[in-house]
Amino acid sequence: MSLLKVNGRSYSVNAAPDTPLLWVLREDLRLTGTKFGCGRGHCGCCTVHLNGEAMRSCQIRLADVEGEIITTIEGLDARSDHPLQRAWVKEQVAQCGYCQSGQIMQAAALLADNPKPTDEEIVTAMKFNLCRCMTYPRIKKAIQRASREMRNRDE
Amino acid sequence: MNKLFNKMLRSSRRQFLISSAAGSAGLLFGVSSAHAVGRQVINLLNPSSPLVVPPNFDPTIWFTMEANGRTTVHILKTEMGQHIGTTLAQIVAEELELAWEWVQIDYPEMTAEAQATYGLQITAGSYSVHEMFDRLARSAAAARELIVETGAELLDTEKEDCVARRSSVVDTVSGEKITYSEILSSTAIEHKISEEDLAEVKLKPKDKYKIIGRSMPAMDIPEKINGKARFGIDAYVPNMVYGKIVPAPTRVGSTIKKIDDTAAKQIDGYIKTLPLNFPPAVQGNVIPTALVIAESFPAAMRAAQLVKVDWNAPAHSKISSDDLLAESKKLRTDRSKGLAWVKDGNIDKAEKETNETIQASYTTQMVGHVSLEPHSALVQNVDGIWNVFGGCQAGHVVRLVLSGFLKTTPDKIIFHPHYVGGGFGSRIVPMPVILAAVAAKALSRPVKVIFTREDDMSLEKPRSQTYQHLTAMLTSDGKVIGMKHDVVGGWMGSALGMIPAADGKGKVEVFSLNGADHWYDVPNQEIQAFRNKVIENATPIGPVRSVSNNFTVFAIESMMDEIAHKLKKDPLIVRLGLLTGKGKNAGAKPGDKAFHQAPLLFGIPGPFWKKWSFWPQYHPSANIAGAKRLANVLRIATGHAGYGTRILPKDTAHGIAVTGAEERTNPGFCACTAEVHVNRNSGDVSVKKLTVAIDVGLAVNPDGIKAQVEGSLLWGVSNSLLEELTMENGKFVQTNFDKYFWQTMDKLPEMDIQIVENGLYPCGVGEPATCVVGPAIANAIYNAVGIRVRKLPIHRKDILEALKA
Repeated sequence: MSLLKVNGRSYSVNAAPDTPLLWVLREDLRLTGTKFGCGRGHCGCCTVHLNGEAMRSCQIRLADVEGEIITTIEGLDARSDHPLQRAWVKEQVAQCGYCQSGQIMQAAALLADNPKPTDEEIVTAMKFNLCRCMTYPRIKKAIQRASREMRNRDE
Repeated sequence: MNKLFNKMLRSSRRQFLISSAAGSAGLLFGVSSAHAVGRQVINLLNPSSPLVVPPNFDPTIWFTMEANGRTTVHILKTEMGQHIGTTLAQIVAEELELAWEWVQIDYPEMTAEAQATYGLQITAGSYSVHEMFDRLARSAAAARELIVETGAELLDTEKEDCVARRSSVVDTVSGEKITYSEILSSTAIEHKISEEDLAEVKLKPKDKYKIIGRSMPAMDIPEKINGKARFGIDAYVPNMVYGKIVPAPTRVGSTIKKIDDTAAKQIDGYIKTLPLNFPPAVQGNVIPTALVIAESFPAAMRAAQLVKVDWNAPAHSKISSDDLLAESKKLRTDRSKGLAWVKDGNIDKAEKETNETIQASYTTQMVGHVSLEPHSALVQNVDGIWNVFGGCQAGHVVRLVLSGFLKTTPDKIIFHPHYVGGGFGSRIVPMPVILAAVAAKALSRPVKVIFTREDDMSLEKPRSQTYQHLTAMLTSDGKVIGMKHDVVGGWMGSALGMIPAADGKGKVEVFSLNGADHWYDVPNQEIQAFRNKVIENATPIGPVRSVSNNFTVFAIESMMDEIAHKLKKDPLIVRLGLLTGKGKNAGAKPGDKAFHQAPLLFGIPGPFWKKWSFWPQYHPSANIAGAKRLANVLRIATGHAGYGTRILPKDTAHGIAVTGAEERTNPGFCACTAEVHVNRNSGDVSVKKLTVAIDVGLAVNPDGIKAQVEGSLLWGVSNSLLEELTMENGKFVQTNFDKYFWQTMDKLPEMDIQIVENGLYPCGVGEPATCVVGPAIANAIYNAVGIRVRKLPIHRKDILEALKA
């Protein structure tokens, strides 16, 4: 039994210690908002926050994250009303939507770290999150919008 | 609406009211006279008083109106990023005069009954809006007439004085109004709209549109950003087990000799490995597979690494991309192997009369679909009914195909639609559906098969590698009098796409040729199709976004520039001179009846899918004005880009291309000006800006269209500069994103997208813009540094070598 803290709740999980966190989230906890894309950390579909940092959950072993603070897309905001989620709706970013959980989690970590990223900083942070529908221009715009909104709120 | 129709609606509705009054005295909501606005009171405290829920108003298969005011539009198209449900709902809401906040959508299960009602409902070819617009608009308009009439009766006024407005019927004389909810709570309207009603109905004039033409937020987006959206891979049923394949040594042709799972037995949760053998005849859909079954997917993945499979390798196990191309080149030299698709005028005569010919060969490599959601499926048998959970572009085709594999009839199979994490043509009958079904039958347990990225990519059904040869015949005064186009490639072998060849010698696959039949005035034209079966024997071929247009339009549009350079004219002037819309390039006539022909899609004859004939019912007015519209978008795309007027930096130039993709009967007239810079030192090609005009006829949701075109354009850039699936030793080299590269957020071109509307019938926009990008880039490279690129993808090293030469 492993003890996991996900989205503010504690779970005890009966899975092999080397099971990738991605599959524990998806199968054992049935938090399917975190997606399986490539299994090698190349695409970013499975991005979650580990102690606030964006990580590829397909590359993390269950045994290594016991007791750590894990946040998935389902827990990003209790009312699904994070500034990024609002911006994502405003800019109508998602097409098929499959990569978008990972995109938003990656972007949330970026903004938490750097509330006012430049265009280049956005690209640097986001360019390893792939989107096959190619919604990149809208992702960029939505991050800029959320950044503006978060700063206005804080002022 | 004419009087006869009016009378018919009235009498049929009265008939119902009478019958309901006679047949069910307890129906308290029924009105027996036109004056019964004050409703009878239901005494809920009286135990003998039945609690009555007003029935839904269900005048057509496409939507349901409830007495609570909500209207649900039933979406039979697959949601895979195009927000098709929102667009289709807008069409209904417009003609039905619904308040948008009362509109919702659902995705009904695909059953035998649904198929008989709704037809095959394949989501492909960019024809969803095109196919559905007229039907939905007419159905909604007919329903509106019924509601207005009923509302007028309840208001005790004349129907002619009433209008529908925001889910209410308003008496324009008195100003009194009654909401749809009140109408449907008071009375039951039971009229099924017939084909005759649809033909008679009067649609709203376009200048009165309030919902069509507005960028309504997509209804599927909110759940796609909070983790709640359910994709095929998220499907779950209790007691299910997981399947993971052991990859075969070649893309097709390997068969299982022996399986040794001794080592796998130590894995916790491992159940067994199923040897699933399938005959070569079905290798387009499924190949022999060792399917490792376990209680969880991680356990299945662990076990799959320990299962040893001994394979019989096929004879072609050493084949490579180079071999496929060599075969294509050889095949073309044997003219007896070609089948004519188009044969216009007299090409032999043109060949004799020409003063100058230009010839060129073009090669395009394989490209994968590579949707980010790997293919998966879950199949569960409940009381003899097979339930299929997944994301597919053609649920009914899945039902049909599975009926063969499960040795049952299609009516015993239900497909439960899920969101699709990227379709692009890859999900007609995904292989995991078949594997999961066969395994669920063998194990008597629900089975979910998930492909890893490596499984998914090594089992790609790519766009074919192609080799094309074009010959243009010119006269001394600069006219193009003839064009010969040989298209060599693997075909999809789709029964749906085979049409008789123009020379009567056999059948050609139109989905592997579309686009070669361009809209330029060339009096003598011949398109020869050569089917390369060596390709098909090495890998099944699939339709990839914009399908054949990606290679045919590349060849044609490159050749148009080559012609222009030969004639020492501007490629824009040459194109405009040939896009006059004469003869067969005039498109449909405005007077052509603007209504779907007998909807073949409504009822499919015969219980077995092979007997089915299927062809999308294109609207006859889709291509009105033909090439003139293509010339128009070309003027816009060049004008907006400043083509020929803007001074560009060194080694930077514009290149142009046009297309009428997807097909001549279903065209999205589209033109592109690409601004491209070539780095002479590195050979790097960078696309600075794409200026695009697309004539959509009528824009239902402009921002949705823009999103599709943005995606299509970046796909085009990605396909042209980065993507290549290569075959070595009978299998694909690239099986994950460390080797298969595509567009990221880095180096995005600026995009200027002009949506052109002219009030004509709407076309689809999910694909067409994909195929103009490649040739526009290639033409820009020539204009920038004088190098003619005749290969896709465009390699940096080829540019560098040519620059050095």
